[in-house]
Amino acid sequence: MTLLHRLASILRWIVRRDRAEKDLHDEVQAFADMAAADRRRGGASATEAQRLAVLDLGGVEQTKERVRASRYGAWLDVVGRDVRYGLRQVRHNPAFSGIAIATLALGIGVNAAMFSVVDAVLIRPLPYADADRLVMIWDDASRTGGKPKFFSTPPEWHEWRRDNTVFTDIAASQPGDAALSGNGEPEELPARKVSGNFWSVLGAQPLLGRVFTEDEDTRGSRVVVISYGLWQRRFGASPDVLGRTITLNDSSYQVIGIMPREFYFMPARDVDIWMPTSFSPAMLNNWGWHDVHCVARLKPGVSLNQAREAMATLSLRLSAQHVPLARSAVVTPLREELAGKTYMSLIVLLGAAGAVLLIACVNLANLLLARGAVRRREVAVRAALGAGPGRLITQFLIESLVLAGLGALAGLALAIPVMRFLETLVPQTMAAVHLTLDWRVLAVSAAIAITAGVTFGLAPAIRGSRLALEEGLRIGGRGSAGTRSYSFQHSLIIAETALAVVLLTIGGLLLQTFEHLSRLDLGIRSDRVLTFVTPLFRYREFEKRVAFVNAELEKIRAIPGVISADAISRIPLTVNDQATYYRLAGQSSNETVEQVALSRVVTRDYFATVGARLREGRFFETSDQRSDAPAAVVNESFADRHFPGRSLLGARLQFGNLSPKGYWYTIVGVVKEIRDRGVAEQLQPTIYRVHEQADQSGDQPSGIVVRTALDPTSIVSAVRQAIWSVDRNQPIARVQTIEDIVTRQLSVPSQNTVLLSAFALLSLLLASIGLYGVLSYAVTQRTNEIGVRLALGARSRDILLSFSRRGLTLTVAGLAIGLVLAAMTARVMRTLFFDFQPDYTAAVAVTSIALLAVGALACFVPARRASRISPMIALQQE
Amino acid sequence: MEKLDIPQGTLDLMILTILAREPMHGYGISQRLAVLSRDHFHVNPGSLFPSLYRLEQDGKLKAEWRPTENNRRAKYYRLTASGRRQLEQHRERWNRVSFAVTSVLEGA
Repeated sequence: MTLLHRLASILRWIVRRDRAEKDLHDEVQAFADMAAADRRRGGASATEAQRLAVLDLGGVEQTKERVRASRYGAWLDVVGRDVRYGLRQVRHNPAFSGIAIATLALGIGVNAAMFSVVDAVLIRPLPYADADRLVMIWDDASRTGGKPKFFSTPPEWHEWRRDNTVFTDIAASQPGDAALSGNGEPEELPARKVSGNFWSVLGAQPLLGRVFTEDEDTRGSRVVVISYGLWQRRFGASPDVLGRTITLNDSSYQVIGIMPREFYFMPARDVDIWMPTSFSPAMLNNWGWHDVHCVARLKPGVSLNQAREAMATLSLRLSAQHVPLARSAVVTPLREELAGKTYMSLIVLLGAAGAVLLIACVNLANLLLARGAVRRREVAVRAALGAGPGRLITQFLIESLVLAGLGALAGLALAIPVMRFLETLVPQTMAAVHLTLDWRVLAVSAAIAITAGVTFGLAPAIRGSRLALEEGLRIGGRGSAGTRSYSFQHSLIIAETALAVVLLTIGGLLLQTFEHLSRLDLGIRSDRVLTFVTPLFRYREFEKRVAFVNAELEKIRAIPGVISADAISRIPLTVNDQATYYRLAGQSSNETVEQVALSRVVTRDYFATVGARLREGRFFETSDQRSDAPAAVVNESFADRHFPGRSLLGARLQFGNLSPKGYWYTIVGVVKEIRDRGVAEQLQPTIYRVHEQADQSGDQPSGIVVRTALDPTSIVSAVRQAIWSVDRNQPIARVQTIEDIVTRQLSVPSQNTVLLSAFALLSLLLASIGLYGVLSYAVTQRTNEIGVRLALGARSRDILLSFSRRGLTLTVAGLAIGLVLAAMTARVMRTLFFDFQPDYTAAVAVTSIALLAVGALACFVPARRASRISPMIALQQE
Repeated sequence: MEKLDIPQGTLDLMILTILAREPMHGYGISQRLAVLSRDHFHVNPGSLFPSLYRLEQDGKLKAEWRPTENNRRAKYYRLTASGRRQLEQHRERWNRVSFAVTSVLEGA
């Protein structure tokens, strides 16, 4: 109650200030009048009575001031006054304020924008119940020399689910195909197969309808749950779609549910169809079928580390019973998987943005320290008039906060365009977001501004108030602020230089990485190639499939502007780990365990169309028909794995089907590496076969590559017509050029590079401004001393040298510390380098040269000014 | 006669006591205090008004402008229910304090 009264009265005091003041004045005046009236009754003259009354009162204004000062919330008046005073300072020192606000705007704007991405990717709730308890489980064959983290298999999911003690449940998710036909243009939809418990593990509810049950999953029911996007786009958002039968892969499925708009799951945000896995007993016994994502929910009270240990043990035990090389399992938080590679980039970029802000704060602290010295007399006057140290510190801090507040406002204006740029940093695995200045960003910006204001304001404030008390009104406060003050300013300069060095070095490393990635030999000629996918589920029969593919390619080749057209089972440069077991002639079955290579089925002239180069042997020829001895082309990784330093032409291998009935392929050529798995991904051994000879393989040459003489996008509709002239119901999906694919894959590294380089340059600029500011200030402060030195015979060159040496010492100290920090940072963020080993020495050399050059310039200008001081004028300044 | 300093913390108690009888303006309170203390206490408006304002801010007093018997306008303070409770508590405590102090002085 009391508190409420107080607040209400404080509010009244603020809102109806004029009335409250008049009230107070009238009351005190009434007191004086009544006192005077009493005195007059006691016989005093009117003027005498008035005088005595005021004396009684102890002064009208003094009384009012005591009331004001003792009221609750009196401090608000003080703050208000200081804010007004601060704003006046801003207006009266436009140059200083402009620099301060611009510096802060950069720091705060960059951080607000970075926070909005980090918030979207790493902080905001995922569309699952209690998402922090969700993890993914992966196979780990690193103990036996295999991959440390890859997809698990159906039997592992099944047995882990049954035997584990750390999860409430484990769900499986597998890649699926869903070619939608009938009713409009046929299209291939992104699809996933998921186990019946998938929904309960995630704690996800459909928007409309229902999800399928475990029973439906095991029975193999033809039911699907569709995405909000597909429902809107293809079914006009009509609820009637529930219960409707649609044609997927030429089979009928019933739509039973629609997921909410915000729902998504690994590995991509754009999955449209969720269908049951419906594992058959044979599938549940296939220990080599690595394409299952396992997602699990931790039991209450079980920690991530406990789950890791338990799963490693369980997996080793189970796999030892079924496969020759036992494999362990790794458990990772779902959030980390969703963020993927972006995780590290975001952390690094956020760190860099933080460093820029820190440098901005350090600069401002230095600026304020310098200005504090200029304002010393003003402060001394205030101290003499009774302002205590606390009062002075408050005043200084509020002035910094006024600057920080203005900087934050300008920074938010700056943040909006930066956010547009950062939106693309949100990984494809997560929901697309539109970054906005929501209350979270505003709150964080406010927090940054206040922290910044206090950070850069505190030291100058304490210094200022202390100086005032020490010096009092000693006139002509000249000379230096003492060596101690310089050493503090110097450490600030060293600190910001070191931070700039870290950013510059890391920026240099990233720049090299990006340069490396963009110049990487893709193994193919990426210009003017159109790619798309024609799913072949309607051509399960091998002969028909071969006939259709050859027919559609004939039609495409006939389009004007088309140079050549061929097919491959997987579009190049796209992440896909479709791998198959193989056996070289002469290998024992022990050697072939877990021996896999990527498998690609191509049409005859595929290599020529994409512009691949031959290392030895030949590519496929017209003679490689079905009846002939099956031929295989392998890549250099394959050749180097098995035949380092010698020719493998003529070597024979079995592929996919390792039974006695399986074909024996003869290696006829070695192709130079093609980056089949993606620009920045590691190369894998790969085996290519011509599709006419791949009837024992499930691989279908559904990816089409078309080399054109003109802009490849200009023939898209002609290509559609050509294919539909062969088969009206053929879906055509994922139309894109190779250049599009490359650009998209390089977008994350290119953005990292652009952002970090921008941060690095910004920090170099700020650090050099800081150095320049401090030296200029020192020159101004010591004009007198320089004058004396010159008068006593010092040469101007000595002065120049002495100031330059001082500045360069700071620069070099900052450089040394920065390089050590940079080496430590670079080690932490290795994953950003995509397995590339950037040249550390080069980055360090360039950074050092850049820093020393800028540092020298920042020193030279004030030092030269010092050396040009005329002793006469300097001494007259006194 | 030399005036006494008003002991720390007792001004509020005395203000509340005076106002418990009838609403009163600032000058009236200071006069009443002088009379009741037999002129030993003299409260300076510089101390009186801050106390009144704080008690009002705490909701112990309520103020309103009214004409005086001499037809001036003055701000009259009166006790609220919460002020009355505070008066009782403070008086009770004061009685114990003064009893205790007196006992010590007389017993020594």
